[in-house]
Amino acid sequence: MPNPETFRFKSPEELKEEEIKRKIKERGPEGEILGGIVFEEEKITDPETNEEKTKRYIYIGNPYDESPIITKLETEATQEEIEAIKKEIIPMKESFEILEAMARTYKHRQPLLIEGPTAIGKTYLAEKFTEVLYGKGVKPLDFYCSGQTDVSELMAKWVPKVETEEEKRKWEEFLESAEAQEKISQIAQEIEQKEKLSQEQKLVLIHTKLQELVKSAGLSEKTQWRFQYGAVPKAMGLTKNPDGSFSFDERKGMGFVLHIEEVGLAEPQVINVLLKLRGKRGRLAEEIQLWENGGRKVKAGPKFWVFFSTNPPEEYLFRNEVDPALARGVVFKRMGELSKESLNLAADYYFTYKLGEKPKEKPEGCILDIYNHPEIGREIAKVVSAFHNDLNKELKKGEKGRKQRVPLTLDDMAHVADTLIDTQIRNKETGLLDLTESLKKHICFYYLDRLADEELKGTMKANLNELLEGVTGKIEFEGKTLTRKEILDILVERASITKEKLEEDKKKAREREIAKNKYEYQDLLDSFLKNPENPESAKKRFLQE
Amino acid sequence: MDKNELNTFIHLLQKVFTQKQPPFDLGLIIKESKSQIDVKEVFEEIKKSVDIERIIYDETIFDEDTIDKIIDAFQKNKWVFLEIKKDIGSPLLNQIKHLANHNFLQLIDYQGKDIFEMKMPENSRIIIFAERDFIENKISYPHFYRLFGPTLTL
Repeated sequence: MPNPETFRFKSPEELKEEEIKRKIKERGPEGEILGGIVFEEEKITDPETNEEKTKRYIYIGNPYDESPIITKLETEATQEEIEAIKKEIIPMKESFEILEAMARTYKHRQPLLIEGPTAIGKTYLAEKFTEVLYGKGVKPLDFYCSGQTDVSELMAKWVPKVETEEEKRKWEEFLESAEAQEKISQIAQEIEQKEKLSQEQKLVLIHTKLQELVKSAGLSEKTQWRFQYGAVPKAMGLTKNPDGSFSFDERKGMGFVLHIEEVGLAEPQVINVLLKLRGKRGRLAEEIQLWENGGRKVKAGPKFWVFFSTNPPEEYLFRNEVDPALARGVVFKRMGELSKESLNLAADYYFTYKLGEKPKEKPEGCILDIYNHPEIGREIAKVVSAFHNDLNKELKKGEKGRKQRVPLTLDDMAHVADTLIDTQIRNKETGLLDLTESLKKHICFYYLDRLADEELKGTMKANLNELLEGVTGKIEFEGKTLTRKEILDILVERASITKEKLEEDKKKAREREIAKNKYEYQDLLDSFLKNPENPESAKKRFLQE
Repeated sequence: MDKNELNTFIHLLQKVFTQKQPPFDLGLIIKESKSQIDVKEVFEEIKKSVDIERIIYDETIFDEDTIDKIIDAFQKNKWVFLEIKKDIGSPLLNQIKHLANHNFLQLIDYQGKDIFEMKMPENSRIIIFAERDFIENKISYPHFYRLFGPTLTL
């Protein structure tokens, strides 16, 4: 009985919160995560028109947290789309950690920077988060940084209007030259200092300066110039239209999601430009001023949000930490390697074929429909996950004869899983699927053949053989200690038994049972009849019956 | 050149993945330093299997023109054989990454659109051809290998 002094009724808001929390933390019969993202519709009455409208919302929280922080966001996606998007996300702890950070910072208009290894899924989750906000198939505006990234690609540039191919070629050659780039940047800096000039005067000055530049380079003075916005102002003023197209308005646009990838590779001048995105109290800037356009301002729409991502410095050559000024101006989240549990979960999802559609009919090249046998998939997942983990550790150290580092991603597993469906090897002795050989082939193709270090390749091949067929790779299976190959063979044999064969076996077993009962009865009868102690009358009656 | 290996490579590139997103892979052919194989020979051999266009990315071509050519090939449902002979510039690298990460091209202010997006057609793929030494020493993007699914070494 609750104590009447402390008993209280929960408010409708509290009950709603509890319901959402329960849905966020929802798990399936096998303990699998079903929550994380929750879709809800709410009916809202427009105070002006008194019309009732339905608004769609999503709630995002980390279901692994005891008390998750749940963020509510408006969405353009339908319930069906949200369900489809959820099915494409492997419910790993790290995925929800990233999604939760994205939702929280998006809501508060704070830029987010995630530094984490390749396999963590930063790019993939940025895409999924954008889909959650706008509907299936909508991608963020992506900008990839590299050592060669030019500031103008991010902010803005003047582009000459050219008529002929020859003119175009000359212009591009000129504009790509270091001299031209330096001079154009000088023009922008000069304009920035002319505070007393009006915007129109500044524009006239820019054009004059550009024409002077053109003349000095020996190009046509009659050239017309066109102003082109870069990725940052574009994302600030973009609006996604209901038909899926985009329109841009520098003052009234709604804003969109901008993902700036590999920001760790950006040169200092690019970082300086990105620092302009810092606004007050850790939020994104409300507007930016483009000196390339006479100081014209571009307003950030209410849905403008920037997500930066980068890999840890050790994955790059000659690269330092993220620029400290940039790190201070954003919500900075550093992620580690995927945990072993997450790696196992991902492998389980791939090899039990939980992501994407399963083939409706057995495809060509498929001996056994392993996608319909999760018991086999789970065993394969254990092997691939262990191998992936080992190789990843080796690759972190770098390879002999290769400057570039090739870290593994979950795509490597997905490749093996998908190929294993329709590229299978038959065991010549049994006529059944040779899963061990098939697996070896695909692991070699997708994991090992790309290694430049021959020694490492040889070691990993030997490790794979040991894992599948060696003594050290043996594990407990149904009370016996067996190699993985033996286990896979047993499972394949069981799964290869067709329905007809099963029915036939059952029928034979039934017949054997009947025959056995008959013989037992016969034996019983014989011993009864032969027993002199049994009265003859009873024997006669027994035989008659 | 092992024609069987090349055929397997093409077959794997044609594959539409269901467990991984995006569903199409980009292919990489690496010519090893000691290899005597001629790029034309490789291209002609691939041409026997698929409708493919060769684009040479060198000092004489700009990124924007290369992107135009890729779009043009995709519009014709063709494959692209992109031979890399200079470090990949930022505009082209952006589009290659878009293709690898989303199977989409995404360009700002292109063909009269604020954002131009083009899905890689189901019958098109892109193969990048480069020499091993070139990749290791000239390509400044540190995760170049990671952009590709099947990789064939010749």
